[in-house]
Amino acid sequence: MKLLMVNKTLTHLLFASLLAAPWVIPVIGDAFWMSILTEILIWSCFAASINFLFGYVGLLSFGQALYFGFGMYGVALGLTMLGLGFWGSFLLGVSSAGLMALITGALAVRLTWHYFAIITVVFSLIFYFIALTIKPITGGDDGINFAAPEIIKLGDLTLTISNPTTQYFFILAVVALLFFIFKRLVSSPLGKSLMAVRDNETRAALIGLNVYRLKLTAFVISGIFAGISGALFALFGRYASVSYMFYHVSGEGVVWAILGGAGTLAGPFIGTALFILIREVISSYWQHYALIVGAVAILVVIYAPKGIVGMWNQILLKKSEGDKK
Amino acid sequence: MSSTIAVLAINGLVFGLIIALIALGLSIIFGLLDVINLAHGDFFMVGTVLTYVIFTMSGLFWPAFILVPLIGFLLGALIQKLVMERLRNAAELSIVATFGLSMIIQEVVRMTFGAAPKRLVSPIQGTFNLLGVEYDIYRIVAALISAAAITFFFLFLNKTKLGTWMRAVRHDRNSATALGIPTQSIFWITFGLGFAMATLGGIVAAPITTVDFRAGVDVLPFCFMAVIIGGLGNLPGTAAAAVLLSFLEGVISGFTDPTIARIFSLVLMSAVLLFRPQGLFKGLAK
Repeated sequence: MKLLMVNKTLTHLLFASLLAAPWVIPVIGDAFWMSILTEILIWSCFAASINFLFGYVGLLSFGQALYFGFGMYGVALGLTMLGLGFWGSFLLGVSSAGLMALITGALAVRLTWHYFAIITVVFSLIFYFIALTIKPITGGDDGINFAAPEIIKLGDLTLTISNPTTQYFFILAVVALLFFIFKRLVSSPLGKSLMAVRDNETRAALIGLNVYRLKLTAFVISGIFAGISGALFALFGRYASVSYMFYHVSGEGVVWAILGGAGTLAGPFIGTALFILIREVISSYWQHYALIVGAVAILVVIYAPKGIVGMWNQILLKKSEGDKK
Repeated sequence: MSSTIAVLAINGLVFGLIIALIALGLSIIFGLLDVINLAHGDFFMVGTVLTYVIFTMSGLFWPAFILVPLIGFLLGALIQKLVMERLRNAAELSIVATFGLSMIIQEVVRMTFGAAPKRLVSPIQGTFNLLGVEYDIYRIVAALISAAAITFFFLFLNKTKLGTWMRAVRHDRNSATALGIPTQSIFWITFGLGFAMATLGGIVAAPITTVDFRAGVDVLPFCFMAVIIGGLGNLPGTAAAAVLLSFLEGVISGFTDPTIARIFSLVLMSAVLLFRPQGLFKGLAK
């Protein structure tokens, strides 16, 4: 019980500091850290989509960049070619990512882990190459640039993401909502069934769970999460590009999720935040940031396979057991 | 037009044999260690880079065939000992580890060798007339060397004691250990051998491709396609699939463009994974 209290307090503290950030950061540091913080929020949502599949269902997907890309292009094409507004293109991005996850997932979740991990990479590669080929639509490596759209226009009040603070709060709201939904999902009967599938598929099937349908549901939810992060990232950068659909992006997401702690709620956020901060701090005077990501990935899987949050929880658990004695 | 496509098809066969060599390395690592090695393409790249360095420093090409696979073997064995061995029973984590390894290898090469792609002068200059087109002699030599290396690999696996042990470990790890086969040693030898084969492919390919720290990223999907279409763990199937795929990609890219040919292979691979996960060439497996 005490253990839960500590983590709950920490979560509240984290959320409070995220809310206060637009006022605190300009005082203590460069305003550029605001955009880093925004980026952390977006990518932690991407890492959460990987964590949901791997940590709670036991499916390691190396292809989440595909749905990220669909979310990204949905927004970019919705704004530039179809003339949909802010919300229309956002919806287009997220729904096309979800649809894509449904189609590819229906095939992929039939396979067990070796084959599953490979086919997720293959699917994402297929669409990566297709996106490279249809340059007139996707812009290939050059990508698509677009102007920042208005979020809402009510009489005199116009909210637009050109204002960094408005943009930050919009993204914070979406990501916070997602993490809240994530938390409810995990503790819902659906979440419990998913964990039963993760722990023992045969036993889950024997107690009457439809393993295929559960896995597919999780896959689609995860695809939607990745799609939302892609849509947010496109809006944040006013840009969409094929390079974000490459499987390396998925791989980085996997590393973030595992470093933070797979199967924990806060893990993806902590892992992503740590990596992006390392990148920003180091890349200013040393350009070989990839070396550190690689080394950390290897060290984590060897020495801390439960990730930072997993280890933290273990320490808390030990401590609370010690208190009882 | 038709002669261009014939040349592309023959190019496909040449590259197919080189890919077969590299993919066999991927396949034995997968078969024995249960590791999906996302760094395998980078092993190949290391082979091209080492060859380039040896060639520019000494002006000699052929000694690379002794030095480079040896360095490759030692590096591979070291990686197995230092990293992979500590991840036993955690197959998912081993994918993550090889992804990290891939990033490290690429970055180290970029730091030391530079980011600009380089070209190696072919050790055998000269062309001959192939259906009215001037064709590079070295490419034919490259195909022959690869074919010879593949033959040696199968002879090693089927005729030597160590090869028999490796097949035994692949077949049933626990029984092999119980029979007194030094399983742990077989593991690092396998990783070293897999790495050495990828670097060997790198030497052969160095004079006909660009030497670039990103080269592995192109080769990796191709090797996976060969391994999957050939059937996981089916070594002759893997070799056959590599040659067939590369040939088909060569022909298709003659009609459209290389990216569409690659998409075709990937779709074929998905179909095989979904509907015939044992691979297309079951008859070739022993």
